[in-house]
Amino acid sequence: MSFFGFGQGAEVEIVLDNVDNRRTADVKGEDGKKEKHYLFYDGESVAGKVNIALKKAGGRLEHQGIKIEFIGQIELYYDRGNHHEFTSLLKELAPQGELSHSITFPFEFLNVEKPYESYSGSNVRLRYFLRVTIVRWLSDVVKELELVVHTLSSYPELNNSIKMEVGIEDCLHIEFEYNKSRYHLKDVIVGKIYFLLVRIKIKHMEIAIIKRETTGSGPNTFTENETIAKYEIMDGAPVRGESIPIRVFLAGYDLAPSMKDINKKFSVRYYLNLVLMDEEDRRYFKQQEITLWRKGETSRRTLQQQPASGTTSPMAGAPLANPTLPTFRSAPPPVEREAQDAPEHEQEIDDDDDRVRGQSAARASAPDATPSPPGRRADAPRRTALSPPP
Amino acid sequence: MVNSNPTSPQLSPVDEQEKLLDTALGVVKVQALEMKRCLDRSKLMDGLKHASTMLGELRTSLLSPKSYYELYMATTDELRYLEQYLLDEFQRGRKVTDLYELVQYAGNIVPRLYLLITVGLVYIKTNDSIKKNLLKDMVEMCRGVQHPLRGLFLRNYLLQCTRNILPDTVEAEDENEGTVKDSIEFVQSNFAEMNKLWVRMQHQGHSREKEKREREREELRLLVGTNLVRLSQLESINVERYKRLVLPGILEQVVSCRDAIAQEYLMECIIQVFPDDFHLQTLHSFLKACAELQPGVNVKNIIIALIDRLALYSQRADGGIPAEIRLFDVFSEQIAQVIEARQDIPTEDIVALQVSLINLSLKCYPDRVDYVDKVLETTVDIFKKMELQRVQYNSAVSRELSKLMKIPIDNYNNIMTVLQLDHFAPLIEYFDFYGRKDLSAYLVTNALENETLIPTQEQTDTLLTMIDSMIQDQSDQPASEEDPDDFAEEQGLLGRFIHHLKSNVPDQQYLILTAARNHFSLGGAKRIKYTLPPLVFQAYQLAYQYNTLREEDPKWDKKCQKIFQFCHQTINALTKAELAELPLRLFLQGAVAAGCIEFENHETVAYEFMSQAFSLYEDEISDSKAQLCAITLIIATIEQMSCFEEENHAPLRTQCALAASKLLKKPDQCRGVSVCSHLFWSGKSRASNGEPLRDGKKVVECLNKGSRITNQCMELSVKVQLFVELLNYYVYFFEKGNEQVSVQTLNQLVAKIKEELPNLEASEETEQINKHFTNTLAHLRARMSAPDVNTVNFEGLVI
Repeated sequence: MSFFGFGQGAEVEIVLDNVDNRRTADVKGEDGKKEKHYLFYDGESVAGKVNIALKKAGGRLEHQGIKIEFIGQIELYYDRGNHHEFTSLLKELAPQGELSHSITFPFEFLNVEKPYESYSGSNVRLRYFLRVTIVRWLSDVVKELELVVHTLSSYPELNNSIKMEVGIEDCLHIEFEYNKSRYHLKDVIVGKIYFLLVRIKIKHMEIAIIKRETTGSGPNTFTENETIAKYEIMDGAPVRGESIPIRVFLAGYDLAPSMKDINKKFSVRYYLNLVLMDEEDRRYFKQQEITLWRKGETSRRTLQQQPASGTTSPMAGAPLANPTLPTFRSAPPPVEREAQDAPEHEQEIDDDDDRVRGQSAARASAPDATPSPPGRRADAPRRTALSPPP
Repeated sequence: MVNSNPTSPQLSPVDEQEKLLDTALGVVKVQALEMKRCLDRSKLMDGLKHASTMLGELRTSLLSPKSYYELYMATTDELRYLEQYLLDEFQRGRKVTDLYELVQYAGNIVPRLYLLITVGLVYIKTNDSIKKNLLKDMVEMCRGVQHPLRGLFLRNYLLQCTRNILPDTVEAEDENEGTVKDSIEFVQSNFAEMNKLWVRMQHQGHSREKEKREREREELRLLVGTNLVRLSQLESINVERYKRLVLPGILEQVVSCRDAIAQEYLMECIIQVFPDDFHLQTLHSFLKACAELQPGVNVKNIIIALIDRLALYSQRADGGIPAEIRLFDVFSEQIAQVIEARQDIPTEDIVALQVSLINLSLKCYPDRVDYVDKVLETTVDIFKKMELQRVQYNSAVSRELSKLMKIPIDNYNNIMTVLQLDHFAPLIEYFDFYGRKDLSAYLVTNALENETLIPTQEQTDTLLTMIDSMIQDQSDQPASEEDPDDFAEEQGLLGRFIHHLKSNVPDQQYLILTAARNHFSLGGAKRIKYTLPPLVFQAYQLAYQYNTLREEDPKWDKKCQKIFQFCHQTINALTKAELAELPLRLFLQGAVAAGCIEFENHETVAYEFMSQAFSLYEDEISDSKAQLCAITLIIATIEQMSCFEEENHAPLRTQCALAASKLLKKPDQCRGVSVCSHLFWSGKSRASNGEPLRDGKKVVECLNKGSRITNQCMELSVKVQLFVELLNYYVYFFEKGNEQVSVQTLNQLVAKIKEELPNLEASEETEQINKHFTNTLAHLRARMSAPDVNTVNFEGLVI
């Protein structure tokens, strides 16, 4: 800044109140490196001090006003010029005037609404920051402080398991079950795969967690898929009647809550992809969306009573004892073999029931299913539109 | 054949395996070292990472079971270091939170589960209260490995790790520690999965590699069996729990896997690992399961293994088999059901089952002859049902059947007990000729070795019917002649055996002999020469026995006559078979016997026997040597006897002298008449009141006749030999005091011999003659130098 400021610069520093007790969180910066910033939640006040130190003792700094802003914005990387601010709060710290000595301005944004979680993806970034501006002729003195926001949710009341029978006619019929459709970030996915018919030589089976980031709309929609985790759950070829347990601890992976249609700019969704590989390296897969949410630390103790929610005990994720096996369908309806978008060696395992597929499609465009933030916890939490398969 | 491994097609499969294994072992070594280094510097997470990489080697599909086993051993050996490290840390209170969760982040399932088990074990060892749940969790998570080889070894690791920590109490203080019930569930679940994997191996890969696969499965079976061993080591499992909780689960798995190799191995495994008293209480369910096994399973071996064990147990255990367990009945019924249910079971196996049953009954119920008979009856029934005609000798069935029948023989060592088995004889009939004969000989030999006597006519009858194949020609007998030595040996056995047909009661003995003759007389010429003579001798003995009982048995006289009649007939049967020497001897023997036993017309009988002998001599014996032999015997017999009146004795004597002088060859004539001389010296008759005749004149006549005949001999050596022999006769009678023999005669003879002797050509024969003569002279000198013992005067003798 001094570059432009004829040697008349000032050092601006934003110091948040009570930082010793504030947690930090990592967020990926624009350059892809992890940065540590102070962590805030929705509804929390953001308060602190702005210290302005003149660079030259005894010097003077003329200005057209000093202000501090709290900004939440979405940056689409392909549209660099336009930042979409969804939150912008402004505090005037000083009217037009002159600074002759270093000065400190306290500030406070009271109970700031922070509706979305900070996010940094491949095509889009959602960030919060404080910006102090000393308005000057020719060049303002600007200082920004990056903040991280986590959105907390309460335990969803409706949390059906995902259970589905899928297959490829005369080739492979399986039934899979995940114990929930919504998982918090430290949750455990518990489930099982039941093999109803196996006529292919399976080599192994894995579960992948896929993050799908969608930006833009209409013809300008961009989709990025990223495999967050690959987890082998079966080695070798099962025979009919075999039931394979699934247990995936989520805490170890770099996950964030699902984000749906954020400010009509982007969505981040998570899918569990069940992949079976045969001996000729053909892949058979089935994707199921799951909703991820962040659980509030404070409510943790009460939540521990919920089934399989804790991760502190080694037994938290134990599989269902004596799992009840699903009924075997004697005459599954015909299914299509070709998967349109899949490469030649990949094949999506179809749902056995067209109706289920319709529902799945509908589910993808269903209204936002993100659990409510804690600030609204008093209100009735929004229910998900997920319906269990028959 | 296409080499399945493209990396180095020039290597042989064995080298290839070695190379692969070496590479894998190398990685394990390096990673293990890294792991230990990290752990030593308390870098647990890095240590786990290396452990996981090391365990990644166990994901291979390229190794044979043998090589994989080596890799597994090396890897799990290194894992112990990790386990010990964690145990130490935990015990020092440095418990790593969420470790059980942490290791589950491993992306690949095989390393993940090995780590999970290792950590789980440490958890359990340091905190009993999660034992129950953790065991359940581990065994359940292992389902993720469905590859047979990898799954089997993984689960084996689980089994090894948990071997000392399985709950083994009936009731736990803390419910979460688990009880023996949980252990049973744990092991059974693991067992079922391992067995499934093991069976699955059979159905993978190309059908032409079936043998290789079966061989590999054999190598791995121990892994599956270890589950059962583990169960057997749980001390809280008593009979009741075994019956209710353990066995049904195992059997269900065994039966439902429908795999012959697994079923056979596991059933034998059950028998081997669990204690006998458990088996005793679960016979029904175990044997019932046997009936449900796959067609290819050798059920026979399984049942036999069980029977053999229980039979041994009954002898070891105090008080034997508990009375309430009707061991024999249970086996008998269940085996019948197994046979019924399994149409494929080969006949020899059916018989083998009966063999084991008979073994069982003999070992557990040695007194119950009826059990043994029951087994034989069952066997007969089965054969009837199968419409079996004949069992071919040396076939598998024949071998089993003969085993079945020899067991009671060997066991009782008393064929009288064998005779109590009503179904023994009918079963013999199923053998073909050789089989029957073999078994008959076995029976007979047993009787001989154990000196078993057959004391009644009925038993004799039954037994001889049983061994009929030795006694007479059979309708199914092959046309070819048997080896004469073998036949002679076999008939010899029979001959010896006849002496065992023996009752202490003479009347019974007579019936026995009559019955025996009825059988043996059917034997034909080639057999009766072995069998009838002992019968005749038995009869003579019986006659002697009656003789001693004459005071007690008023009818002894009649009975003796009957016996001699019996003998006469029997000997005549031999005569009819164109045998001559044998009946001749038997007649002579009979004559002696009749001569001694003074029943009413014993002289007539003796005379008849003598005359029979004479006519055989005259009509049937043509060989000169045999003639000399026979006449010598006849003469000797008459010399022995004293029962004849002069009117009978004189013709006999004369006849002998006549027959002797009528012999064809001169030397034979000489020897014949010389022997006759005894008749006139020591022969006895009623006329001489049983005293020797001492007819010195006749004696010298005989000897002189001998000398005359000798002089007619052409061959010098024969002539000298005969003179020496004659000299001996003369000396004998001279010494006996026959005054008709003078010293002069002796001198003449000695001089004659001395004159001729040097003219003989040197030969072995000459040497013998010389020796004979020298000995004779030596004898004479000895007698002359000891005059005080002589009754005769040697004066004038020149030697």
